[in-house]
Formats: sequence, C-alpha cells, structure tokens
Amino acid sequence: MPRAETGALRPIPTAFIFLAAFAIHAPLLLIKLPLKSYDTNFHIFFASHYVHHWFEPWNPKWYAGFSQTTYPPLAQQWLALVSCLTGLDMAYMVVQLVAILLLTFGVYRFARLWVDPRAASLAALASVFLGAESFLVYSAGQLSTTFAAPLYLNAMPYLYQWARRGGWRSFVKGATLAVAAAAAHHATLIFGSLLFALPVLALSALDREGNERESTSAFVVRAASAMLFVGVAIGVVLLPFWIALLKYPVTQVPIPHASRASYILSPEWGINYFVVPYGAVILALPFILLRGSSTPRLRPLLLGFWLAFLLGLGGTTPVGRVLLGRAFEVITMERFTYWATLLALPFVGLLAKELIDRFHTRAIVGLTLAAVASCAVAVAWSSYRPADASDLKIDSVAAWLNRDGHDRYRYITLGFGNKIARLAVLTDASSVDGEWNSGRMLPELTEHGAGSLTSSKFFGKSGLDALTAILHHADRYGLKWVFVRDPYYEPLMVFAGWRRVDNLEDRTIYVWSKDDVPPATPLNAPQMPPHWQGLMWGILPIGSSILAMLLLLIPDERTRYQPEAEPETVRQPAAAEDLVLGRTLL
Amino acid sequence: MRGWLLALTIVVVTAVLIAAGTLWPIQTAIAMASPRSTSNSSSPQGAAQALLQEIRRRNWNAAYAALANKSEFPETDFIRDLTGSYTSLRSYASLEGFDLSPLRSSADEAKFRANLNWSSVVGTFQDVRELRVVKEGDRWQVVWPINREPKIPPQVIPVNYLRWDVIYRGAEDDWGAQDVESPHVRIVAMHPVDRGGGTIILGELLNEDVVPAFVTVKATLLAKDGSAIATEDSFENISHVLLPKQVTPFRIDFQKARLSQVDNVRIEPSSTLVAASADPVIGIESQKLNPLPTTSLSGQLVNQSGQVVNITHILGTFYDNRGQIIWVSDGYADRALLPQTPVAFSLPYPADLADKINNYRVVTSTFSVGRFQ
Repeated sequence: MPRAETGALRPIPTAFIFLAAFAIHAPLLLIKLPLKSYDTNFHIFFASHYVHHWFEPWNPKWYAGFSQTTYPPLAQQWLALVSCLTGLDMAYMVVQLVAILLLTFGVYRFARLWVDPRAASLAALASVFLGAESFLVYSAGQLSTTFAAPLYLNAMPYLYQWARRGGWRSFVKGATLAVAAAAAHHATLIFGSLLFALPVLALSALDREGNERESTSAFVVRAASAMLFVGVAIGVVLLPFWIALLKYPVTQVPIPHASRASYILSPEWGINYFVVPYGAVILALPFILLRGSSTPRLRPLLLGFWLAFLLGLGGTTPVGRVLLGRAFEVITMERFTYWATLLALPFVGLLAKELIDRFHTRAIVGLTLAAVASCAVAVAWSSYRPADASDLKIDSVAAWLNRDGHDRYRYITLGFGNKIARLAVLTDASSVDGEWNSGRMLPELTEHGAGSLTSSKFFGKSGLDALTAILHHADRYGLKWVFVRDPYYEPLMVFAGWRRVDNLEDRTIYVWSKDDVPPATPLNAPQMPPHWQGLMWGILPIGSSILAMLLLLIPDERTRYQPEAEPETVRQPAAAEDLVLGRTLL
Repeated sequence: MRGWLLALTIVVVTAVLIAAGTLWPIQTAIAMASPRSTSNSSSPQGAAQALLQEIRRRNWNAAYAALANKSEFPETDFIRDLTGSYTSLRSYASLEGFDLSPLRSSADEAKFRANLNWSSVVGTFQDVRELRVVKEGDRWQVVWPINREPKIPPQVIPVNYLRWDVIYRGAEDDWGAQDVESPHVRIVAMHPVDRGGGTIILGELLNEDVVPAFVTVKATLLAKDGSAIATEDSFENISHVLLPKQVTPFRIDFQKARLSQVDNVRIEPSSTLVAASADPVIGIESQKLNPLPTTSLSGQLVNQSGQVVNITHILGTFYDNRGQIIWVSDGYADRALLPQTPVAFSLPYPADLADKINNYRVVTSTFSVGRFQ
C-alpha cells in the first residue's frame, strides 16, 4: 500500500489531541497542582470577589480597597460562575483545563494558516506537551495569560480570511473572539495580540493571488476596518479598565522581577525562564531559523517568533528595554517566551512531520520522548522551584480574624508568601497588603519599589521602608493586627510599639497588635468606580465571551476557508533540505 | 531577500544583541547577576568588588574562598564577623550597597576603604573596613580584616532586679480589654521645632505610677481654624516600656507640615499596664560629645546582667543651657551585648546644634530573642 494512504500520513484526529490534553493535564489539575503556583490564589481571590459582588468591582480586602477594573476579568468571572457548581478551587481547575483544550484547537487552526493539516495537527499535539504552557499553568499560575492566548489563536484564521477575502461571518467571529481574548488579559491584548496578528496580516497579503492582487486597497480597508472595529469594541468592553489606566497610570517605583535578568549573567534564571519553558523546542531553533528564512510564506511567522524570542530573553538583550520602555519595568517577560513558543509550534509541527516521514518509528519515539521530557520538566519545576516552599496553613488565621469582631480592623501578614491571597478569600477582614501591585494606590506602598509587604525582607531596604511606612500609619488605615510568621520582623514590631497578643498554629504564627488604633473605615478613594462601570464590568466582558460562543455556532464559509498555499509545497532542493534536517538531527 | 541572508541576519543581530546585553547589561540585569559574572579579580578593585558582591548575596562560601588569608581563620569566624556570633542587628541585616575608596596601591598590593551600607529590619547602619588586596599569581585577593567577638569566660552573675508580673482575667481576653486602670503617665516636656521643611515634636514622658507602663505618644498638629493638619505617633523614637518613675524622650516627625502653619499641638500619651522587668540593666559609659565635622554623642554600652541582649535601641536627649530639649536622636547597636562586655555606640545630632548642646541623657531599650521588653 502506498504510504500516502496509510494512517501515518493523515492528520492526527482532533479527538485524539483533545484526549491527549485531557489525559496529561486533567490528572494534574484534579490533584490541584496549580494551587502551589505563584498566582493561582490571586485569580481565585479575584473570582471570590465576583462571586459575592458581581457588579461591584471595588474590592476592600486588599490595599484598604482597590478596583478590580484594573485587571480584565473574563477568566476570573468564568471561574466565579463555575464555582457555583464546584467551589472555587475546582472551578479554577475546570477553567484552566478548558483553556488548555482551547489551546490545542487554537494552535491547530493557527498552524493551518502556515502549514498543511498533518503538520498542524502535530503542532496541536505538541502544544499539549509545551514546556511554556506547563510552566505558566503549574509554576506561574497565569490563568489569564493561558486563557487569552488560545482565544487569539482561534481568532487569527478569521482575521486571515477577512483580510484576504472579506466575509461577514469571518469578520464577526474573529472580532468577537479577539474582544473576548482582550477581556481575559490586558498584557496579551497590548503586546501578544500584535505578535500574533501582524504575521497573519502579512501572510494574508502574501497569499493574495489573481484578482486579489489587484485589490490592494480592498485588503488595506479590510485590515484597517478589522483593527478599527475590534479596537473600538475592546475599548467599550473594557472601558472601566481604560478609565482606570488613564486616570491612574502605573507610576509607582518599579519592582524587580527575575524575568528581566540577563540569563547569561544569571544562569539560574536562564534555566527558569528559558530552558524550562522552551524545553525541546530549543532543539528545533535551527530548523525554525532555516526553514522560516528559506520559505517566503513562513517569514512573517519567523519574524514574529524572533521578536517574541528576543523580548522573552528579558534583560539578556537591550531589546525589551528599548522597545517596551517603562513597560519593561512593569510587566514580567516570561509571557513573551510563552507567545514565542506558540509562534514556534507551526515550525515544530512541520519538523515533526518531516522527521516522521524520514525516520518513521525512530522519529516518533524520539519526538515523543522529547515532548514528554519537556512537559515533565516544566510540571516538575513547580516542585523543584516551588513558589511557596512551606506548607503553611492559614485557616486558623482566617478563623481568628473572623471571630470576636477582629475583622473591624485591618491586618497584614509577615512571612506568608503568596498565601495572602488565600487568606483574603477566607477572611472577611481587610488588609493593606495585597498581590496586585498595579492596583494599589496607597503611597506607602507605591513609593518604595517593593512588592507585597508580607515578603518585605526579600526586597531589601525598599521592602522594609514600605513596611515601616505602613506601620507608621497604622492608625490612618485601622491597621491593628500583624500576623508574624517570620521572627526576622520581631525587632521592628517590638521597637515600633507593637505587642504580641496571641499565637496560632502551635506558636509558629504570632499575632501582634497596636493599642488605640481606631476601627477601619472605608477609604473614600477617587479610584472607586461608579455604579455604571460596575454594571459594564459585570456584563460586557462575560457577555463578549458568550456572544463569541454563540457566533461560533454559525457554520464556517467552508468553501472559502482553506489557506491555499502550503509552505512545504515550496520544496527545497533535496540537498538544502538534507542540510536543514541534518543540522537539526545533529 | 534570499533565505540564507535573512537567517544570517537574524543570527548575527541576535548574537550582537546578546553580546551587548552581556557586556553592557541594563541595570535590572546587573542587580540580579551573580558577582562572578559582573566583576573580575584581575584588578585589585575588581577583586574587592567581587568579594563584597558575594557578601551582599550572602554567598559566604564563595566570599570566604576568595580571601587571601583564609588559612588564618575558619569560615565560621568569617561569617560571625559579618553576621554576629549571637543574634544581633547584623543577623537581621543585608548588605544594601558599598563604595570603595582607594587609599594606596602598588604593583602587588592595594588598600581600599570600604563603606558597607547595611540594611536591617529597623533601619540602616554603616560599617567601615580597610581592605588590603594582594596579588597572588595573576589574581588579586582580599586580605579580610577579621574581627573576632570576645568570648565570655564561664561565670555566675547574680540577678536581683525588680520584676512586675500581670495576671490577666483569662486567655480569651484580647489585649486592651483589661479592666484595670491605665498607669498614670505625664508629658513633662514638649518642644516643637521646624526642621528640614517639616515639623518635629520633641518631648519627654514620665511614668508617674508604681506599675510599669507600655506607652506611646500621638501628636496632632492643629491649624488656626482648629482643623487637624496631620497626626503621627512616636513609632520607634520612644522607649515603649516605662518602669515606675522612669522618663523616656520621644520624637514625632511630621515631614510635610511646616511649623509656621501650626497653631497648636495636641499630644495624646497612652499607657497600658504590662509585665516588665528592670533586667537587663544596660550601663552607659564613656559618653562624650564629638565635635564637627561628625557631630555625635558616643559612648559604650555595658550589659550588666547575665543574659545576652540581642538588639539595643539607644535614645539620646539633648538639652540646651536652659534645660530645654533641643534634639532627640536614636540608633541601634549593631552587635549583641554580651554580659559585661562593652559595645560602642554613636548617636548623630545636627551640626548646627553643636554650640547649643549643654547636656544630654541616654536611655536604652532592648530586644532579646524569646523575651520582649
């Protein structure tokens, strides 16, 4: 039987890819592995607020009050909705699993723009094992990032179709998906969407043929109208976010983050932010470069990947500092690596296809091992480099705060790490600390260039200055309780006039108090969003995602949606191809 | 564009960017880089910098390994020199920064003065070391000027100081819910001064009672129309535990309120009954005022009890010839106070007050691990 007719040369069925994603990630999510990550509890905390106050984005539990309109809400609102059935923790796992499944579909559709169905299906399968995805899910806990990217990837084929040939279905579907993605994550909207969209627009320009070539103006009008419409729609759906951003821009002193390190001067961060997320994709870099540069149709994708790659290197190159300006000091850079790996996946699928064609079983075994190793290392990384090394239990702290009127006062913790979000979920009391640095407005916190007060000592003088400043103004904020788990802070508490009043968890946590502190009163902050913004925030983002789902039910214009050119049809001379493959295999 | 040219361009540009980022790293990258990657020991200054960077990262093994005279003392002594033999302010401190001033240099030896700026949980302190750097082969290494803390001989120190215990109603009572009368305290002096664009309230508080008191002082600046301009409290610029008849100075800083705007000051001392002990007693010896340019009050602290005092807070009150308070200064001893072992201290005061200071008084409060006073 000719090989072309065997199953090995057909695309991998979507059902199989879904099944693989489910088989790999569902068990890890069922054991709630992401709860150990950096940001999972942060998202759960935001969602817990939506559970109780869907139309009231002002959250008094952190920073003596802050606006949740400073963070696009889609993933957290879905989390809040699902939690009505499953509880918050399991709802997080469900939403994260949906994002992972969506990614496989998004990668397939995105890769189909660039490569043939079989390579695209291999790319989708590779996304299940992608180190960067596992790193963000299990170590970083970046739900919004991993939720937004698949939506953008799914929107891209519609953008391609619209830009090239028009068609209202493509336009409407692409636009609503892009708006939903924007409603999930702001950094992905501002930076990631360009990295995905610009290569696709360039591709749609390259792919024009026949009459299409003569209608350049139509192409430009369609591309511009898509960007304009989506821009306006995003502007409306996230209006409270833009108002908050424009009225109260992030001007606080930058907080150091290791993703901005030089991975050569700080190799330990190179492992964390380069080797682990890229995994076996590192081996494919020469292929990506050579194939991407030698095939004109793949060049936009190569350039998009290259830019994301350079930005993902953080402080290893000056690119991030130059291109992003002040934003470089505000956002973390690992998300660029994530986007770079997503942009690399069509190449990976192509490489896998060619290796399998050439080396059959040996290639399958090798690729499987490489994929599993990438995924395994990234998953295990959450144990090797845990965000929270201790098994700190904060239920007793929450119970203490919730009894005897203790929650009439505000509190902070010292030495609790990222458990403060979990504590905030469990207690009714308000804190002047928090984990959403861009949402905080208290001058004591914004002027010193440190992160959470609970980890003050890790920020050196900046952190301790911020802590001292907030303790100085304890009366102002009704700050009466400090839960100290790290004896490091005890001298400060003693000399600043605080006294131990209780202990918890077998004397591993001490409660410190200050006399004569008045009960906390709500801050009359100008950042408090008006009611109409609360209504918008509660309706439009979630509404955009529901609308997108409904519109996707409309059948595609099948006769039209087929990217016609396939890069491997532009065959390289045999010698050149051998060279590429040979180099790759070496 | 030919494919190979594009590939080559990408490779070359990437390499150049990485090289540029490595050779001239951005500030963020420098802050997180390991010392060995940003400095080298091929010059005396580079060797000294690399050593101090390792100390900054608390990478004691690497720092000790880089010393020229490591055969003279074990690594534990080196660590104790920097972090203290006993828990002390140094144990809670990290090297925030440093600067090196060259003193002299020759072909195979150089000397630097290193100002080490330490950041601790209760503020910053400075440590000055003179570092000799010698050439060993083609590398420069630092000869570390080791300071060994004295070892106390075994001895018995009788302790018969007063102690006050308090019996509370029950464990379920919150702090502050005691139904006992607060100890009587009184402001015995108060003097607002305009300084550095802000207002500073200086004063003294007396515990008039026969029981110990946990005290704090809050001040509110009032404008002419009676409205409050700002409210602050004494924070750490006070000795919070006052034994009967004891006096503490206090200082309250209002950094953004000019004295000219202030019509009145409302002072609110508060006190709470607490258990306390007169032990440990800290003797203050050899006090003297140091003249310009480094105006300070220096002396020695002597722990007269039998237990180690881990951190000592020192408060100095300065008076003019009329007996009025003109300044309150505070500082911390960076080393633990071992029994009967003097430790130097220094309290700075503004140079423009040097001619006005006629008298001074020093009090201390202490922190011992596992026991708070």
